[in-house]
Amino acid sequence: MNMISLTLRTVAALLLGAAAARLIASETVLSLLTQATIFGVFATGIGVLLRQNGAVSFGHALFYGGAGYGVGLLLKLQWTGAEAAIALTLLAIAASAFLMGLVIVRVPGIAFGMVTLAMGQVSFLAVSRARGFIGGADGLTIEWPATVFGLPQSVLFRPDNLFLLSWSVLVLVIAGLSLVFRSRFGSITEAARDNEERARFIGIATLVPRAVIYALSAVVAGIGGVLSALNSGFVSPESLHWSLSGMTLMMVIVGGAKPLWGPALGAIVYFLFKDVLGDYATHWMAVFGVVLIVVIVFAPHGLAGSIQLMRRTRQRAPTAAAAPIRTAQAHK
Amino acid sequence: MSLVNLFNGLVYGSLLIVMCSGLALIYGLRRVVNFAHGSLYMLGAYIGYSIASVSNFWVALVCAPLAMAVFGVLLDRYGFRLLQKREPLSVVLVTFGLLLVIEDAVQSVWGKANLSIPTPQALDFTVEVLGASLPAYRIGVIVVGLAVAVGLTLWLRLSKAGLSVRAASTDPVTTAMQGVNTDALSALVVGVGTALAGLAGVVAGPFLSLSPAMSSDVLIDSFVVVVVGGLGSLMGAFIVAMVLGLVQSFGAVHLPDSAVLLPFLLMVAILIWRPEGLAGNRS
Repeated sequence: MNMISLTLRTVAALLLGAAAARLIASETVLSLLTQATIFGVFATGIGVLLRQNGAVSFGHALFYGGAGYGVGLLLKLQWTGAEAAIALTLLAIAASAFLMGLVIVRVPGIAFGMVTLAMGQVSFLAVSRARGFIGGADGLTIEWPATVFGLPQSVLFRPDNLFLLSWSVLVLVIAGLSLVFRSRFGSITEAARDNEERARFIGIATLVPRAVIYALSAVVAGIGGVLSALNSGFVSPESLHWSLSGMTLMMVIVGGAKPLWGPALGAIVYFLFKDVLGDYATHWMAVFGVVLIVVIVFAPHGLAGSIQLMRRTRQRAPTAAAAPIRTAQAHK
Repeated sequence: MSLVNLFNGLVYGSLLIVMCSGLALIYGLRRVVNFAHGSLYMLGAYIGYSIASVSNFWVALVCAPLAMAVFGVLLDRYGFRLLQKREPLSVVLVTFGLLLVIEDAVQSVWGKANLSIPTPQALDFTVEVLGASLPAYRIGVIVVGLAVAVGLTLWLRLSKAGLSVRAASTDPVTTAMQGVNTDALSALVVGVGTALAGLAGVVAGPFLSLSPAMSSDVLIDSFVVVVVGGLGSLMGAFIVAMVLGLVQSFGAVHLPDSAVLLPFLLMVAILIWRPEGLAGNRS
């Protein structure tokens, strides 16, 4: 994809969001879409790690929930304004994830996933048992100041504006990531993903780029966490729990991690599907478990992979259909 | 105080040995990290609970693992065997899907309330050791853990099937060329591994309560054990399981606020030193 088409697609996606925010009147639909979009950002973070490092994280809720707690604590302490609190939190996530990444990206194969799972669960246990300031199992209310980003709360927290904000952030994150991965850095991480030994052999230092990808994916998940904090004004230990990481990972797999927009597609499908399930939602775990198994067995590249496959076969179909006719005529 | 402490550490370590040996066996042969292993443990515990409530604990102790063994053989035949050409990552995700299904099924059948398997009467007494009174049942748990560790080691070292398992864990293709039916072997190993998860569940029933949350707690600890011990290594898992049990029980008394962090710190420290785990050697 060249620069012009990337810009056009980004602008088109932004306009689509603006139109949706304007046209959809129902607040329930808007808040459902907002939630789906926020999880789309979170899932994009997990997808980045899978796409560029080939690694599956079962503990990214650590950064999603961690961002909420970071912002919430900074605001509660009243050390900084809201904008600085968000920036500081994301910086702290980037720094700590980079350091963690230096240790854990060296862990081979699936053991990496098990380590991330353990880390996420430890953070959940530690926070839910912490007494006092953090709020323990009760969670933490985020005390947003009267104006955020120069907008009064009454404007910013209106459902249509929240949706527009989340959607725009999602689109810009995806566009930004595709710019980053077009660079030499993107190629280096792909080389390290496909064969780390060979990449090292031709003189590429792989550890730092892989840790940077881990940090990048953590920051994207953290951006999702910040949006969630804006949306709900609340953060609880459940937002750190491994089951949340697992469900979001599922969205990534169902959506497909190859194109950058795949995980977000998975998140939107997940929430719409869950809404349609309605009364059966008490058994959603079993339903999604079965869906996950079916997708992995029959469509390993997810919905995005199937869409791309369909598009490719449709492009090929006319020529393939034309060829036999021509040969048939030639035979006459 | 410290003797009771040491004792409780050994009890939890023994439970982890039973859990992790199943996890390590399945990984050794199928290269699958079974994320549903904690759920299989839970399923075994609940099946044991139902059997114990209509007959008694000892019947449950035998029948629940047998039922889980059948489940394991089916899982291998219709799951892992069909997926063996896929990359390990996608099989892991399939087991994650299975985890969700089992969790939901268990909650639907047995509800969300905490249940408990009553302690069998034959072991419902305490033993005085050096002034500390230790429940006999928990001594029994340690015995089960040691029996599993010793039994598996002897089986793998001395029997023909054990030899084939060790060979197939090293190189399944070459082993198959020597005339070993690796598919049947895998079914056996996954069956045994799943039965061990069920056994751990039944054994845990009388001293840890049965709840939908029971699977994730033990799964996380088991993962720490097999990652630190080195994936697929039984001996590594045995040793780390005991160390982790002791670390947790000492932490719970001496550092109550940070006890949950200790296993994690142990893991990070060892992974900085040896990313492949203590006894691991494959990259």
